[in-house]
Amino acid sequence: MSDPSSAGGTNVEGESPRVEPTIETADVTITDDAELERTLGLAGALAIGIGTMIGAGIFVFPGLAAGRAGPAAAGSFAIGAFVALLVALPASELATAMPKSGGGYYYISRGLGTLPGAVVGLSLWFGLVFATAFYLVGFGYYAVDTLAELGVSMGDGLVIPLALLFGAGVTVLNVTGTENAAKLQNGIVALLLSILIVFLGYGGLDALGIVGEPSAPQQFAPFGPMPVLTTAALVFTSYLGFAQVATVAGEIRDPGRNLPLAMVGSVLVVGVLYVAAIFVATSAFGSERLSTFGETAMVEVGRHYFGSAGAVAIVFGGLLATMSSANASVLSTSRAIYAVSKDALLPRHASHINLRYGTPHVALGMAGGPILALVATGRVELLAEVASFLHLVTYGLLCVALLALRRADPSWYDPDFRVPGYPVVPILGALASFALIGFMQRTSQLIGVGIMLATAGWYAYYGRDVTLKGVVE
Amino acid sequence: MTRVLVPLAILEGESVSTGLPTLLATMDVTVLGYHVLPEQTPPDQARLQYEDRATAALTDLAEAFEAAGGSADHRLVFTHDRERTVDRVADEVAADAYAVTGATGSVDRLLVALTGNIAGDRITAFVAELVGDREIGVTLFLATDDEPGGRESIAAAADSLAERGIDVETTLAVDEPPLEALVEAAPSHDAIVMGERSPSLRSFLLGEEADRVAAEAVGPVIVVREESADAAATREQGIDADRASQLED
Repeated sequence: MSDPSSAGGTNVEGESPRVEPTIETADVTITDDAELERTLGLAGALAIGIGTMIGAGIFVFPGLAAGRAGPAAAGSFAIGAFVALLVALPASELATAMPKSGGGYYYISRGLGTLPGAVVGLSLWFGLVFATAFYLVGFGYYAVDTLAELGVSMGDGLVIPLALLFGAGVTVLNVTGTENAAKLQNGIVALLLSILIVFLGYGGLDALGIVGEPSAPQQFAPFGPMPVLTTAALVFTSYLGFAQVATVAGEIRDPGRNLPLAMVGSVLVVGVLYVAAIFVATSAFGSERLSTFGETAMVEVGRHYFGSAGAVAIVFGGLLATMSSANASVLSTSRAIYAVSKDALLPRHASHINLRYGTPHVALGMAGGPILALVATGRVELLAEVASFLHLVTYGLLCVALLALRRADPSWYDPDFRVPGYPVVPILGALASFALIGFMQRTSQLIGVGIMLATAGWYAYYGRDVTLKGVVE
Repeated sequence: MTRVLVPLAILEGESVSTGLPTLLATMDVTVLGYHVLPEQTPPDQARLQYEDRATAALTDLAEAFEAAGGSADHRLVFTHDRERTVDRVADEVAADAYAVTGATGSVDRLLVALTGNIAGDRITAFVAELVGDREIGVTLFLATDDEPGGRESIAAAADSLAERGIDVETTLAVDEPPLEALVEAAPSHDAIVMGERSPSLRSFLLGEEADRVAAEAVGPVIVVREESADAAATREQGIDADRASQLED
């Protein structure tokens, strides 16, 4: 279809990137022979961002984070939100300049070149796989707690089997399901937000001593400032959703307006909720006791404020939230694989659509398979950190790509949204992203670096003759 | 010239029967081939895989309309949302009507329902243009609760068509369920023309009523749209542009 000589060289198999001229309007992308309808509105885009993020920060991390950093875990979440904002702003500018599927991968490959693009594109695939596995393990804990609330006590041994079962289910449903689940996702996010606002509103008033009994004061940062930073690195996984909005950038209506609003808006919404949740949770129990409740600590917090009804509401919320995070991430993974395969950095077959269901079953399988393998490890913190590591590399490079593009100022670069505080914001965003990696556990760092080296190796073998820098449609 | 949009799920084998291009020979036709994708699939991904096949099918269809003597172009859209796509394209091409395709051979008699929210004179004007100087008879159909008023308006519509030399009959359904009465009247006709229900195409062309009429009547159903503000504005702009270019000349 695309002329090999026109764009970007070829890979080992002789395929070249598929690049065609397009015209973008608010409603549609127009190619030579076809139109691609933009169907997602602001609400849908926000639901993707919030729906991806909210599962982790509130329903999985509070106990773990409080155990590491004490009540100052709220500060860790605030740091995470700040870093995410520093990246969301540059990401918004890049997304409005290049409203294409693929998100971070696309901007970096066009702004910095094929090698960083390939590393980021493939790392994003693995990053999303790690993140999804993490959400699924979180789901497993909530599934076990749900059974416990129903009076069926199975113990934590069932967490991984349930997570695997659900992970396989999500993958299969995405391959075979042709029902439009987007409305369901919007509804789930709206329901979750309502549960959380009631819960955190009341809990917040209680914690401040306005209603209920005053809680015992405790030291804010009992372990000093360092754990606050390492915890920030751990919980950054809670903020990985905003960039997933950019992976569907090609399908969002009026991208110049909706992309920045959805990305920045979803970070602000979940950031506020996370900080409030940690504050309420640590006020209810004190961080030490909170940490003994583990992944589902929020259930006990719900019980503390509202009795068993509160516990049931939180268990239900946790199930929904981890489900929606996992599902949204599987979809993003398949789009990430598609974007890379379209550019001839993965075999074209990877983005093949099956005739029966019209779904990209190969890409979904390339997401689902590794996800299940990782779920089986059950290492919540490791999964979360590696996911954050791989995303943070992308985020850092994304800020660098913005700086490079602004400096080179190619004629095609014409964003609708320009990052405020240039160049301070992207420079800080890059530094903060890379710095956060430094606070992770050594194992996570090694795995992250290993994956990046492997992706660079793949590039050298498969696609080193592909050129993508400045190759826009 | 009046434009009719023919939306087709092109990759699911939807096509037009031989009678439709002939019936629409007096119109400008836009064949809208669309393909609805589940949300798991980016439209661009589907385009890479299916574009060539869909374009070939659309080109053939447009040629069938041209061969029947009409003028036709085609659009191909990959989408998650059929309604949004059909609405958008209809507005962009300023379509005055949609066709719900159905099986038909040559069309000898049209059933024209003066129902819906479209003014009767818009429908009769459309029908007059559609029939042109061909030997196609028209049965006007009106379902109403108000017999004298209905009789009056159907007679006025019949007169305006008869003036143009069209063979007109009338059917008035008083106090009957409008849809059932329409479907009952359908068998002796080859195609149906009706007005769009408010508020838009969505509740009509895609709603149950159109499906039922199209399914039970077997033949094609042509739905006359309300002229949207956008379409009207586009048309005026077009006229302004024409005038401007004429002034330049």
